[in-house]
Amino acid sequence: MLKLEDYHHQDPTWCRGCGLYGLFSAFKKVAFSLKIKPEKMSIISGIGCHGRLNSYFNAYGFHSLHGRTLPIAQGVKLANTQLSVVAVSGDGDAYSIGLGHFIHSLRRNVDMTYIVVNNRIYGLTQGQTSPTSRMNFVSPSTPYGSKEQPLEGLQMALAAGGSFIARGFSGAPQQLASLITAGMKHKGFSLVEVLSPCVTHNKIDTYQLFKSVIFDVDKDPNYDPTNKNKAWKIFSRHGDKLPVGLIYKETRPSFEEQSLPGRKPLAFLDLVPEAGKIEKILEKFE
Amino acid sequence: MIKDISVMIAGQAGDGVLFTGNVLAKILKKEGWEVATYRYFPSNIRGEPTHYIIRASQKKIFGLGNEIDVLLSFDCESIIKYTKLIAQGGVVLCDGEELSRLKPTHKKGKAFHKFPLKILAKKHFKNDIFKNMIALGALCYILDLNFRLIERIIINAFLKRKGKEIVRMNIDAVNLGCEQARLIVEPSERHKLVKKMDTGKMFISGDEAIAVGALAAGCRFFAAYPICPATEIWQWLALHFPEFNGIVVQTEDELAAINMALGASYAGTRAMTSTSGPGGSLMMESYGLSGMAEIPIVIVDVQRVGPSTGMPTKTEQSDLNQWIYGSHGEFPRIILSPGTVTECFDFTAKAFDLADKYQVPVVLLTEQDVGQNSRTAKKFDLSKIKIDRGKLLSEEELKNNKDYKRYAFTSNGISPRSLPSMKNGIHMVEGNEHDEKGYRDEDPENRIRMMQKRMGKLSGSAKDMIPPKLWGDKQATVGIIGFGSTLGPIVEAIEELGDLNIRAKNLQIRTVWPFPVETVRDFIRSCEFVFVVDNNYSGQLHDLIHSQVKPEAGMQKILNYSSVAFRPSDISTQIKRAVRDA
Ligand SMILES: Cc1ncc(C[n+]2csc(CCOP(=O)(O)OP(=O)(O)O)c2C)c(N)n1
Ligand code: SF4
Repeated sequence: MLKLEDYHHQDPTWCRGCGLYGLFSAFKKVAFSLKIKPEKMSIISGIGCHGRLNSYFNAYGFHSLHGRTLPIAQGVKLANTQLSVVAVSGDGDAYSIGLGHFIHSLRRNVDMTYIVVNNRIYGLTQGQTSPTSRMNFVSPSTPYGSKEQPLEGLQMALAAGGSFIARGFSGAPQQLASLITAGMKHKGFSLVEVLSPCVTHNKIDTYQLFKSVIFDVDKDPNYDPTNKNKAWKIFSRHGDKLPVGLIYKETRPSFEEQSLPGRKPLAFLDLVPEAGKIEKILEKFE
Repeated sequence: MIKDISVMIAGQAGDGVLFTGNVLAKILKKEGWEVATYRYFPSNIRGEPTHYIIRASQKKIFGLGNEIDVLLSFDCESIIKYTKLIAQGGVVLCDGEELSRLKPTHKKGKAFHKFPLKILAKKHFKNDIFKNMIALGALCYILDLNFRLIERIIINAFLKRKGKEIVRMNIDAVNLGCEQARLIVEPSERHKLVKKMDTGKMFISGDEAIAVGALAAGCRFFAAYPICPATEIWQWLALHFPEFNGIVVQTEDELAAINMALGASYAGTRAMTSTSGPGGSLMMESYGLSGMAEIPIVIVDVQRVGPSTGMPTKTEQSDLNQWIYGSHGEFPRIILSPGTVTECFDFTAKAFDLADKYQVPVVLLTEQDVGQNSRTAKKFDLSKIKIDRGKLLSEEELKNNKDYKRYAFTSNGISPRSLPSMKNGIHMVEGNEHDEKGYRDEDPENRIRMMQKRMGKLSGSAKDMIPPKLWGDKQATVGIIGFGSTLGPIVEAIEELGDLNIRAKNLQIRTVWPFPVETVRDFIRSCEFVFVVDNNYSGQLHDLIHSQVKPEAGMQKILNYSSVAFRPSDISTQIKRAVRDA
């Protein structure tokens, strides 16, 4: 019998109060509730405070490069479709240095879950402005205020053809857990952005602030996450307020369903082909 | 009797030069000749001069000869540009009005004929696309080729796709070309080739051979981003991987390509990516991740002219330093350099075993000249390939292991690998410095041990590496050292020097890293003169030998960074001069 502690490898050393704790405990609960064996999970993380998550979690882990979590994670999944593959990035990792992969992963739709920890700042490198930092945000990298518009990852995801788009808040771990659970059950690429305060470097985007600017679409009986038009409108429904909950979900075949239908995991294929099979192809060169 | 012939087909991009040349190459191959092609193409699609050389020989050849015997051109520009290369007794057919611009001195001893390909095509077939078949007919006449072979090639190419009528028109066009050439070309100007038997050889490019090697070696994951001149590897794999349950992914960029391959390899699949210089530059950070995290990967770089976008379709050997010294930090790596299409196949297969055994990145460093040009080669010996995955654990072997360490310190630094999904094999893979279990560790003592573990993995590896190959007369005291695609011109330069009573030999470096220091040192010591052939500006191989071997005697550089492949005479004349002057 698996226990919740079976997913705990070691205690995190994030700053006390960091939003990543909420994510960590929610994520362990998800794995536990889905009864995923630790050895059947592979968690790929980027570089940043979020990147430590998999070294605290008991599962196969890959702490990779800044911005490259997604291609690595997709490679893992395609090589072994029986694994539960989860990638974890920060807002810098996902929306800045890794943005190209973000867009293309959404349209490729490999069956995996992508958790983007959005603290609206670069945590590990000591608090510089990130692509989700607000206009005029003051930080060591923009001492006179940022002069760039923040970007909204979920709208980009919708435009890029994402098949599962959700947002949680590390201050609401239960909802976060249920969103990650739904994401992991989703057959395709699931994006779960997590609003997650960096208590050390970001004195603006705090728990209180996030709480005051979010509204929960899961609680709205009139909201239909399978309706793309509604999804588009939700971002501007309440001015600058941020929707949380399941924003959009559609059913479409995953990349591997189409390109590796019903195949044994590549990682465990017998590599010696039938006698004569390659020779036959080589006849074309004669 | 003709023993060696080079035919150049020239024109503007879009003229069908490649198509015409490929059919000619196939016929020559079917007639039992050794064939090597050389394409010199612009990197756009239409409207710039291009040429394609098809060389056929009775002996083994790997590349260009020195001269052109027959030149057929769809315009006159190339003729004027290449008259210098035309051999005495050579014959030229040209569709254009500008032959008159040639000076009589240029024409001496060579036959020039105006041959109105486009007009003939329009007149007889109402479509100038038939100019290519008319050209082939003319070449068949000049070279006295077997007409049936062309017929068969046309039927294979067009019957299914285009139907009987098109086949008939194409055959008629070939006939017309043959007839027209008979009217223009003097019998004495013909270059009649002796027919031999097709000995069942293959006619294959280096890129294709690499793809076949990967497939045969059990590679089942390939990710790449389109780039000249490496794309042919991908296209072949994309076509054939599905039958073998493999997958090819077209990624958004080279960063994704190498990282996806690393992910797949970490999960247990033999994985490869291929690119050329610009993509290689983008891959540098992940090259280091492979070294640090000890994830096997095979990276193919089909080099082109750099830096920056350079000349995308032309050949060079200027990425050597990048793969030896590139990426920040220090990590072990293996770099192989094939000189022939057969070696492209063999070395690719070998690359996967080396990557698995040493858990390092293995680079297959080749060049446009080998990658995109086709050569005849003996059928590949698939039975030679024994897939050896190195220290890859099975779930069974992990059964009683309660303390598995992915990066365990071992006597040779190589630690057994478990794969995701294996019970008792859970670990972290880390790009940060890490402890034996893969968890981040910044302790200086651990750092020292881990560096020594990784960097030491290749110290006893010489026995597994592909050794340098000696060509020519062992006793010779004129030594040439080269790698990759310069092999062909070097070997032929040695023959040319032999004709001048200069005995020379060649050491072909086939594993450029780890560098085969002892063999190269012994070779240099056995020579009075040493020449290092580099298809780059600075002499990267020369400098590598200098830093690794520290030879007592001086070495002379033979360089070429013109974007045109070496010809044998480029090498032999420099050596002749240096040796005679000494
Ligand atoms: C190629 C590269 N550039 C820069 C860095 C330095 N770096 C490390 S983490 C980081 C940003 C982290 O921000 P984010 O991704 O939002 O993660 P967080 O720390 O906030 O969780 C940067 C710029 C790096 N590791 N690699
Ligand atoms: S720096 Fe910020 S994001 Fe990083 S651990 Fe501390 S609070 Fe969390």
